[in-house]
Amino acid sequence: MAFISELLGRPVAEADGRRIGRLIDLVASVHSGIPHPKIVALVVKRPGSPLVVPFSDVAVLIAPAIPLTKALAEIIPYQPGEHDLYLARNVLDKQIIDTNGMRVVRVNDLELARVNGWFYVANVDIGTLGLLRRLGLARLARRVAGHAGRGPLPGVIPWDAVELLPGDEVMHLRVPGDKIAELHAADLAEILSDLSRSESGRLLESLDVKTVADTLEEVEPDFQVSLIQSMSDGKVADVLEEMAPDEAADLLAQLPEDRSKELVELMEREEAENVRRLLAYREDTAGGIMTTDFVAVHASLTAEQTIRTLREIAHEAETIFYVYVTDDDNRLVGFFSLRELILAQPETPIAEFMERRVVTVRLLDPQEKVAQVVAKYNLLAVPVVDDRGWLQGIVTADDALDKIIPTAWKKRLPRLYH
Amino acid sequence: MLAVIGPGIITANVDNDAGGITTYSVAGAHYGYTLLWMLPLVALALIIVQEMSARLGVATGKGLADLIRESMGIRITAIIIGLMLIANLANTVSEFAGVAASMEIFGVSKYVSVPLAAVGVWLLILKANYKSVERVFLLASALYLAYVASGILANPPWEEVGRAAVTPSFHFEAGYVAIFVTVIGTTIAPWMQFYQQASIADKGLKAADYAYERLDVIVGSLFAVLVAAFITIACAATLHTNGVRIETAKDAALALRPLAGSYASTLFALGLLNASIFSAAILPLSTAYVVCEAFGWESGVSRSWKEAPVFFGLYTAFIMLGAAIILLPIKSLIQAMLASQTLNGVLLPVILVVMLRLVNDRRVMGRFTNGRVANVVSYGIVAILIALTGILLVTSVAPGVLGNG
Repeated sequence: MAFISELLGRPVAEADGRRIGRLIDLVASVHSGIPHPKIVALVVKRPGSPLVVPFSDVAVLIAPAIPLTKALAEIIPYQPGEHDLYLARNVLDKQIIDTNGMRVVRVNDLELARVNGWFYVANVDIGTLGLLRRLGLARLARRVAGHAGRGPLPGVIPWDAVELLPGDEVMHLRVPGDKIAELHAADLAEILSDLSRSESGRLLESLDVKTVADTLEEVEPDFQVSLIQSMSDGKVADVLEEMAPDEAADLLAQLPEDRSKELVELMEREEAENVRRLLAYREDTAGGIMTTDFVAVHASLTAEQTIRTLREIAHEAETIFYVYVTDDDNRLVGFFSLRELILAQPETPIAEFMERRVVTVRLLDPQEKVAQVVAKYNLLAVPVVDDRGWLQGIVTADDALDKIIPTAWKKRLPRLYH
Repeated sequence: MLAVIGPGIITANVDNDAGGITTYSVAGAHYGYTLLWMLPLVALALIIVQEMSARLGVATGKGLADLIRESMGIRITAIIIGLMLIANLANTVSEFAGVAASMEIFGVSKYVSVPLAAVGVWLLILKANYKSVERVFLLASALYLAYVASGILANPPWEEVGRAAVTPSFHFEAGYVAIFVTVIGTTIAPWMQFYQQASIADKGLKAADYAYERLDVIVGSLFAVLVAAFITIACAATLHTNGVRIETAKDAALALRPLAGSYASTLFALGLLNASIFSAAILPLSTAYVVCEAFGWESGVSRSWKEAPVFFGLYTAFIMLGAAIILLPIKSLIQAMLASQTLNGVLLPVILVVMLRLVNDRRVMGRFTNGRVANVVSYGIVAILIALTGILLVTSVAPGVLGNG
C-alpha cells in the first residue's frame, strides 16, 4: 500500500544507477472491466520534455529512488491512449463524485495497491489525513491515525465508487455517468447543487435525456432554468418531452415567453399539446399544477379488458393507482383503485364496482383548496374536471401538498453567500 | 446586461473600506497633492488586475482558490491560503478599527461599539439575505460622493492639482515608501481578487457575457479610484494646507467641512461606519469560503453548524479575533488601519504571480490567455511592487542608506 503523494517527486534512475529525472505523474489505464485503474506508465521529468516510461521497464516502484530495468537509450516511450488517465494531472486535487456518499468531494491523495506485480489505484483519500500527508506532515497524520484506532480510515473511498467529472479535455473513460445514471434523481440533484455552474452543466451534458429529465424534476424551477442554459435547444426539447407535462410546464413558465415558445415548437406534437394546455392555466390553480398523464377507460369495459388496456397506456401515466372511468363524451363518471381492479373477477364490468361519487376539483380552483381536498379525503390523487364535467387532468398528492409545504427539500440554486 | 453588472462595481466599492478611506485621507493630509500622480497609474494597474481576475472567473467558472488547488497543487495552495489568512485577519482588524474610530466621533467608546458591531455582523450574515444586505450597502456607498462634493467645494488650486497629477516625485524615506505601498495595497487588495472571481464564477457568466463584465470591471475600478482621488484632494485642500496631521478619525472628518460644515464629522463617521461594517461582514465570510473551497471542506451559509464546522468556525473565529485585537490597548487606530493595508501591498506580488501563472496556462484558460502587452504590464507591476517592498524594508531598518532620508 502506497500513496501517490509519497511517490511523486522521487528520483528515477536508469539501469546503471544514473538519475534521469523525477517522477511527476503516473499513467493509469481505465479499461472497462477492471474496476480499478492499472498503472501502465510513469512520467519522468527531464530537461526538455518529460519521458513516459512503460511500467514494464520499472524494476521497483516503491523505493526511495525508482530504478528502471533498462538504460535510458533503450526505453521506448509509452504512448498514452484513449483509456489512459494521468493521475496527478487529471485526478489529484480535482473534484469527483462519490457515488456511495452521494456528494462531491476533492481528491487529496490516491492509494495504490499491488496485485500480481502490477499496481492499481485502490482508494481515493478525500479526508483531512490525506491533506496532511500531501503537506508533508505524514508522520503527524500517522500518529493521528494511530489514535483513531484500527479499522477503515475515515475519508477514504474505494475507486469503484468514484465518478470523475467530465472535464474540459475529453477524458475517454468508460461511458461517462454509467454509475451516475444509477443514482436516484434526488441524490443526483444534490450532487449538482454542490458543483459550480460550469461543472454541473458539463455533467448534465454527459447524461442521457431520461436521467436529465428525472433530475430536473427534483430541483427548484430557477435552478432548472440555470441548468438548461448550457444545453442545446434540441436537447432541452427532448428533456421536456421526457419530463412529466406539469413539470415541463412549470419549467417553461420560468423562461421568457419567446424562448418558451421556441422550445414547445421543437417538442413532439402530443407532448407539446399537453404542455400548451397546462401552460394556459395559472400556476396557483388546479389547472396549473395538474398533469395530463392519467389513465381513463371507457365505462363499458370489463376488469380484464381494463387490465389489457392499462398494459398499453399505463407507461407514461403519473399514477395508475386510480383508474378513472369516462363515458362517450369524456365525462368523468366514476373511478376505482388498482386494488379493486385486481381483486375483481376478470369478466366483471367495471361499471359494477366503480365508485360513482367522485371527489373532484375544478380547473380554476386555487391550489390550497386542492390540497385541502386531498387531505380531507385521504386521496393519492384528485381528478380535475372542467365546467362540463369532462376529465382534464389529475393532481397527485405530492404535487398538491408541494405547493403548500415549503419546498425546503428540493434543491435550490447554489449561490454564494446564500 | 444588468444581470451581469455587479461583481466589478461591488468589489470596487468595497475597495473604499475603512483602510481605504484612511489611507487616502492620510495621503492627502500628510503629503498634499504630491501623491496624486500615483492614482492614474494605480487605476490602470487595478483595471488590469481586476480584469485578469474576471477573465479567470469567466473562462474557468471557478473561484481563485479552487483554481490554485487544481492547477498548482496543495503545497502552493497551503502557502497562499496561509498568507491570505494573515492579510485578511489584518484587514478585518482594520475594519473593526474603522468601526471604533467612527463611533468615537460620536463619543462611543470602542469597548462598546466593537463588541456590538462584532455580534451584529455575525448575526447579519447568518440571518439576513445577502442580496438585500448588498443592496443596502451599495445605496449607502453614495455617501462617498460627499467626498467628491467636498473636494470641489474646498476650492483647491486646480492648476496645482492638475500638475501634481502628472508630476512624479519620490523620496527614499520610510514613511513615504510606506504610504506608496499602502496606497497600492489598499486599492488592489489581494482578498478582493478572491472575492471578485468567486462572485463571477458564481454568477455563471459565459464567454459571451465577457464584454459586459469587462465594462463592469473598468467602470467599477475607475469609480473607486475617482473617489480615492477626491478623498485625497479634499484632505489635501483642507488638512494639508492647514498643517493638520491625522491622528484620529475626527481629524480626517475635518476634510468634509467645505461640504458639511459642522456636520462634517457626522457625515464622515457615517460613511466610515457603513464601509467598515459591510467589509467586516464580507471579509470573514469570504475568507471562510476560500479556505473551505481550497481544502474541500463543506461550506455555505445555508448549512448547519454540524454540516460545515470548519466554515462556521473560521468565520466566527475571524470576527472574534478581529474585534478582540482592536480592543487591545492600541495607541493609534489610524496606524493599525494603515499597517494592514501596507501588508496588503506587500503580499500583492505573491498573488499576482500566481494569477499570472494561471492566466498564461493554456490548459486552464483556453483562448483567454494573456496577450503579450498584458503580460508585460502585469509583470512590470509585480516587479515594481517587489522593488518597493524591498526599499521599504531597507529604509525602515536602515534609514538614510538609500539617499535623502
